[in-house]
Amino acid sequence: MTCLNKRYASLMNKVLDGDATVKERNELFAHLATCDSCDRHFKELKRSTEILNHLAHPQLSADFTKNVLEQLPAEKQHVLREWTARHPVIATAAICVVPMSLLFVAAGRQNSMPKRHGEDSYILVNQTGSRN
Amino acid sequence: MDQKEKRLIKKVKKGDHQAFADLVDRYKNSVCSICLRMVGNREEAEDLSQEAFIRAYNNISKFDSDRKFSTWLFRIATNLSIDSLRRKKPSVSLDAEIPGTEGLALNTLLPGNTVPPDEQIVMAETEQWIQKEIGALPDKYRSAVILKYVEDLSLKEISEIMRLPVGTVKTRVHRGREMLRKNMKESRGGRNDMPE
Repeated sequence: MTCLNKRYASLMNKVLDGDATVKERNELFAHLATCDSCDRHFKELKRSTEILNHLAHPQLSADFTKNVLEQLPAEKQHVLREWTARHPVIATAAICVVPMSLLFVAAGRQNSMPKRHGEDSYILVNQTGSRN
Repeated sequence: MDQKEKRLIKKVKKGDHQAFADLVDRYKNSVCSICLRMVGNREEAEDLSQEAFIRAYNNISKFDSDRKFSTWLFRIATNLSIDSLRRKKPSVSLDAEIPGTEGLALNTLLPGNTVPPDEQIVMAETEQWIQKEIGALPDKYRSAVILKYVEDLSLKEISEIMRLPVGTVKTRVHRGREMLRKNMKESRGGRNDMPE
């Protein structure tokens, strides 16, 4: 482009981006009508981008989606959720069993613990006593 | 984002594979197109697209449902393609024509990096030529031009995908566009017979 005046290059960009005002468009097109090199430049810019829009989307292999799914981590959480939704009674029962059994274990320990502790210290005293 | 897509994403966040399959079907063509135009090789583009979807699935908890899913997905696809281009980037340009040959470049002689003969028939001559010209653009202009002109996205959307200000995206589109014009004109020998 021989004439290229920065003003027209920036107007071309504005017009191509859709940012130009009516006044700016008119100014550019008035110039293009009189300047062959700018006119050619503008047409080339337009054509080289318009042609990209005609590129076809690539053909994907038929099992593309299937291949992606096969590589995902297993649906663990989902399976558990579905199971609990289908068997709410068993699920609730299972959840209740845990604290109940803990309660039983704790109660059992509390009953036996002080007694055993007392016996232990008694034996210990007794042993030291018999040695002397 | 439409309501159906929001519902799908909610399900995907709970680990629903079928909902994710619906999302894959919605976007696989666009994702693969972005990857293909970025790397220029169909087989690689399909691998990259699969990888993009798998990453999207694995990171879905980080996706903000108030945003557009396609923007987030296209960002993953673009970044994966750029990474792949950088990994392969040789110190000598393989695209450069070997002196004394007619259009013969080093990369056409390397195994694995060539378009298989049967694909060459499928890929029309014009498409091959356009792909070559896109491939000649530097990465940062290439991605901007592809998203703008192949995928027809708005500058605002591209700026969200690239996480760059709209002004920077515009500059990249302008430079890429000008470079494409110049290269296309030269490769056609300055003749004005560019396919319409």
